[in-house]
Amino acid sequence: MLESLDPRVNRLGLPDSFGSPFGSSSLDQFETYEAFVMTKPGKPFEHVGIVHAPNEEMAWLFSKEQYTRRGMIYCALCVIKTENVKVSAVTDNDLDVYTTIEGEYSGQEKDSFEVFHLIKRGKQHKHSGSVMAADFEDAMRSANQSIERPKTVYNVWIAKTEDIFSSDEEDADIWDTLKEKKYRDAIDYKAADKIKAFKEEQA
Amino acid sequence: MYGGGNTFEAMKATALVDEDPIKLAEFEARIERGEKIEPSDWMPQLYRKQLIRMIEQHAHSEIIGALPEGTWITRAPGFKRKLALMAKVQDEVGHAQLLYGAAETLGKSREDMIQDLINGKSKYSNIFNYPAFTWADSCFISWLVDAGAIVNQVANSKGSYGPYCRALERICAEESFHLKYGHHCVIHLATGTKKQREMMQAAVNRWWAPMMHFFGPSDKISVHSEILMKWKVKMASNDECRQQFLDMYVPKIWELGLTIPDDKLMKNEATGQWEYTEPDWDEFKRVINGDGPCNKERLAVRRKAEERGRWVREALLAPKAKYVTPLA
Ligand SMILES: [Fe+2]
Ligand SMILES: [Fe+2]
Repeated sequence: MLESLDPRVNRLGLPDSFGSPFGSSSLDQFETYEAFVMTKPGKPFEHVGIVHAPNEEMAWLFSKEQYTRRGMIYCALCVIKTENVKVSAVTDNDLDVYTTIEGEYSGQEKDSFEVFHLIKRGKQHKHSGSVMAADFEDAMRSANQSIERPKTVYNVWIAKTEDIFSSDEEDADIWDTLKEKKYRDAIDYKAADKIKAFKEEQA
Repeated sequence: MYGGGNTFEAMKATALVDEDPIKLAEFEARIERGEKIEPSDWMPQLYRKQLIRMIEQHAHSEIIGALPEGTWITRAPGFKRKLALMAKVQDEVGHAQLLYGAAETLGKSREDMIQDLINGKSKYSNIFNYPAFTWADSCFISWLVDAGAIVNQVANSKGSYGPYCRALERICAEESFHLKYGHHCVIHLATGTKKQREMMQAAVNRWWAPMMHFFGPSDKISVHSEILMKWKVKMASNDECRQQFLDMYVPKIWELGLTIPDDKLMKNEATGQWEYTEPDWDEFKRVINGDGPCNKERLAVRRKAEERGRWVREALLAPKAKYVTPLA
């Protein structure tokens, strides 16, 4: 029921015309990592996109560059290698994806898993809780029992807690540098006065 | 910037015959209900193919679009303008990253996309095949080319493919800075000395034709895109986007005392539509197919950047490798 989030794991049956004429260039092919940000302390991590990187430290750094510019101020960032994220099917209509799962939670507490829910279509996945379970499928069943769901869940991502690479709390000051860069914001560019003065002068 | 005037692949009448009719009907019903399609969902091959093509073109336009403006960073007048332009160019390259990421969820690797850009197989926004001779050209791009791109991007952000919409939402937030910055620059020149005004006017004269081309061929002659509209791949027709742009920006250009080099340009108050001289679509085709003033240079710069960056990518892949002096 759960599949890998990584499109490279199965190339999704692409038409031949997308095959590269150069063969696979293994040297250039970095792994992809999914980046998640926390907008305010206490808020859940939410997905922002992917980065390509050779390892998780670099993935974290690239994500910081890529996703925390331009007044998008966050307080924490974490990355997970795409192939380590398992994804459920997306449901149709108002169907909750948890209603489609089969089997019972094993009760085993072998590994810790983080669960991300999609509760608004077209929006990003948000962290909604952690569970203990035997494997990914089992984690889904465990989440079904223990994670509260005030809203319909259309899709679920699950990753092992140990596969998450996160910023240290003591490094919180890395988020402080953006405030003085007003020139990067639309608000710093006022035009109305100058246009008005120009029009008056012309009249 | 800069998703404008996408070229879509000509579609064969048989494009959908191999698709499972039940799955296709479910897929279309989901889009009809306003649901977003996510990477792991079933989708027709044609949908996947056209989306890859469109998002990829958009990504290429962002990095190629950064080239004409990028060359003006060191020559921008004053420290503030340099800082702002540097931030804008950095954004554009960041947009490309977001978009390559969105396209990759459809199954084409970033390496393949970049190869296809360099070898000329993929297109990018035609307007960047023209040179930015003066600082005023750079200002025109920042304000009006970005404005055109915003018209397209806002429309596309309501499309059906989830990862593309999410990338566009972030991009549009940053574009508002580009637009305001660009407007600020143009106002400064247009309300400045005689020489500054002339420089700005010359830039408008140079860029108007490419700007009209930006939204792509007129609906009268462009490929039939009904199914792309139905699938919410394409959200507005080329002419609709062009009309919206004219409606929002022609008055803003005129109020600065600038003129637009088209005597037929006027709003028909009866129809609410702008009338203009039909752009030269032969020129558009000629340039997009490789024969514009800067096509070769743009790709050469990209190719060189790819080559020069290779050692960095290789080094990143082998962080523990040590340099060993050869014995002989
Ligand atoms: Fe832009
Ligand atoms: Fe952009």
